[in-house]
Amino acid sequence: MIAILQWSTLAVCALAAIARVPSALRGENRSLFFVYLFLTVAILLSIDAPYVAIDQALGGLNLANLVLRFIIFGAIFALGLRIARGFGADDALRLLTGPVGVAVAALASVAVMVVFLMMDTAGSSAGLIAVHAKDARNALLVEYYGAAGRLYPAYVMLALLPAMLRTVGSRLPGLVRVGAALLAVGSVAITLSLLFPVIPESLAYLRFLINYTAILCLIVGLATIWLSKAVAKRTQEMQTNVTG
Amino acid sequence: MPLPAKAFQLWLHSVAPTASTADICRISGIKRTTLAQQLVRGKVSESTLVSISRALKRSPLDDLASFDSFAGLAEQPQLPTPAELVSQIATMDLLRAVISRSSPAYGGFGDHGSALTPPLSAAPHATSVRNWVDAIDDGELRHRVSAATGVAPQNYSAQLTANRLAPELAVATSRAAGVGFTGGLVATGLLTEAEAGWTPAAKQAALDALSDGELTALAGERLQSLGRTLRRQEQEHEQTKKIWENLG
Repeated sequence: MIAILQWSTLAVCALAAIARVPSALRGENRSLFFVYLFLTVAILLSIDAPYVAIDQALGGLNLANLVLRFIIFGAIFALGLRIARGFGADDALRLLTGPVGVAVAALASVAVMVVFLMMDTAGSSAGLIAVHAKDARNALLVEYYGAAGRLYPAYVMLALLPAMLRTVGSRLPGLVRVGAALLAVGSVAITLSLLFPVIPESLAYLRFLINYTAILCLIVGLATIWLSKAVAKRTQEMQTNVTG
Repeated sequence: MPLPAKAFQLWLHSVAPTASTADICRISGIKRTTLAQQLVRGKVSESTLVSISRALKRSPLDDLASFDSFAGLAEQPQLPTPAELVSQIATMDLLRAVISRSSPAYGGFGDHGSALTPPLSAAPHATSVRNWVDAIDDGELRHRVSAATGVAPQNYSAQLTANRLAPELAVATSRAAGVGFTGGLVATGLLTEAEAGWTPAAKQAALDALSDGELTALAGERLQSLGRTLRRQEQEHEQTKKIWENLG
């Protein structure tokens, strides 16, 4: 079940990235293409088989996991900037690029790196499950490592949530609002991932569910907004009419 | 509440005893699935009844009045007030009337108009529902309608903004305002002016009876509100474009 979710999320994300290639070549919203690309790589690195293969190539020290964290940071930051600008959320933009945003990014990055160096990371294992199983100290460090990795994405998406909800409640075209709603659901899911440490082992599948719901909602939400643009180009609904 | 399906079928049987459902749909232009769905749900929309009544060359007003919820509709044919008539004149027609009354130097014909002035377009127009309610509102009308029907004021306002009003709400509004029942049904486009018993020249006569000052002030109000609507739309378009530029 989880494998299906993982691979289908990967497929959706990769398809979205491929679909954006032509517009990226034309120079439209290149950063969005890279967001899709980064997210595709991130999903690839969270699936067992590809992770182990890539990490072995990097020396089998789980460096791939560290790379994965920074790919996510970068993708979320780029996406956050786009969303904040698109939704006209100057408050969110300040929270991302202002001193607080930089501080949170720096804090999360340093924490991820320091904790990574403190762990005994030998032996490739997706999600550092094998490292977690080594001993109590490593288990605790993996928890901290995960928390630090989830901190920045949650901060970014939480900062953007009010702007998304404003757009959902606005009178903009229906598909734009559907897209904003999906982005909002994704943001809530990413924020919920902060609660992973208190989810009991018996409900561990919830972690996967929340993670992949978040990514799927973000990707499909963005695709919906893209679709609304294509639809509007055809129907020319963006016209005002003086006769009322 | 739309019309109960049982009463509708009784009515249909009495006015077209031999016609099959397929015949009815064909002559009235209603989709068979639409009618079937309305019958299954037990609620037939008033516009369905009006379409069938029209197709059978009957009086939609009288047929509506044969249902309990619209009883009294045709009994006391109270004609629309001049304000209601003027509210059903499209904004562009009002502006044309202003220009038409201006001096010839500005393209007008002077105070008496001219045979060259094009006839008024038929109701409803783009803001006919709100204009109608504004024309009969004494300031407390919305509260009275809300109290009488249980419809929340914000839902009522939302319908006016969308230039819609459920027929039973339109009738309730007429009742609360103490005006004839047909005004709301014409403003919402359920009935044509002729079907409502309005004389063809009634709107033009009400327009001609406006003084220059009244006409100009009214046209100005309409223009202002149209300007607000257009500005809001333009703002929304700007926002949408920004979203597309960044995320599309």
